[in-house]
Amino acid sequence: MTNVASHFHSIKLVVGALCIIFLCAGCSVRRATLNDVLTPEQVSFIRVGQTTIRELADHIGAPDELTESDFGVVALYYWSDTKSAGLDLGAIGRLFLPYSPTMRLNKIGITPEQLQVVFDPQWTVRAYGFSRKSTDEPIIWFWPF
Amino acid sequence: MLFFKPLAGIVIVLTLALLQGCVVTRGTVGEPIQEEAVSAIKKGKTTMAEVVSSIGAPDRIVRGNDREIFHYYYYDGKSPAMMLILLNFIRMDVKSDNLYVFFNRDGIAEEVVYGKRTDRTRFKLWPFGD
Repeated sequence: MTNVASHFHSIKLVVGALCIIFLCAGCSVRRATLNDVLTPEQVSFIRVGQTTIRELADHIGAPDELTESDFGVVALYYWSDTKSAGLDLGAIGRLFLPYSPTMRLNKIGITPEQLQVVFDPQWTVRAYGFSRKSTDEPIIWFWPF
Repeated sequence: MLFFKPLAGIVIVLTLALLQGCVVTRGTVGEPIQEEAVSAIKKGKTTMAEVVSSIGAPDRIVRGNDREIFHYYYYDGKSPAMMLILLNFIRMDVKSDNLYVFFNRDGIAEEVVYGKRTDRTRFKLWPFGD
């Protein structure tokens, strides 16, 4: 009786492992990050008309780009968190078939973000703001439709 | 002595089996910015020519508020990947260092802004979480 129970337990383990393999089969998860994320809390120290470019750099580092606009010099801080996931429905076939069928669903979400800080001629902050951002994309989300 | 040879073979085979499908990539753009050269820039003293001779020609020259600004940058990217038969994880982490030297109309450095992020670039494979 014990022998039958342990045998049944082993079969359950094998079936469970196979289910996990089949669920993960063909899954591909990619993620690419550029620089550190800046949050509104991290720049709450900025006081318009008071904070200088030196103080800004001391708190959040040097900007990625400086450019001149009609309103003054603009410091740009860039960052992004790109998530991409795919499901290859033909992956399991590769284990059994000489021909590998390709049936893929892929989705990629590139979300470049920016903090823009405008300076007056004395290098104090005139204005600042974040680029628009939607809600966070899930990491695994391969349904493209 | 004979005992160790099969053991070594097993270890090599196991190591190869565990490492198969591993891809490690490293990419850089530009030259790392030497911090000694940055700290050697003295505001109100160091000239444009001295900056160029110690750090090199800038990657970009920006004009802002009637000043010349030298911009030096360096990018460092690390990307580990695990390409298994049925499951792939790929991750890339890129960070940049930036140096700006602001010169007055006489070509003398009046401000230095430097930020280093590349020391926090990591080979991190797990794509989930922060």
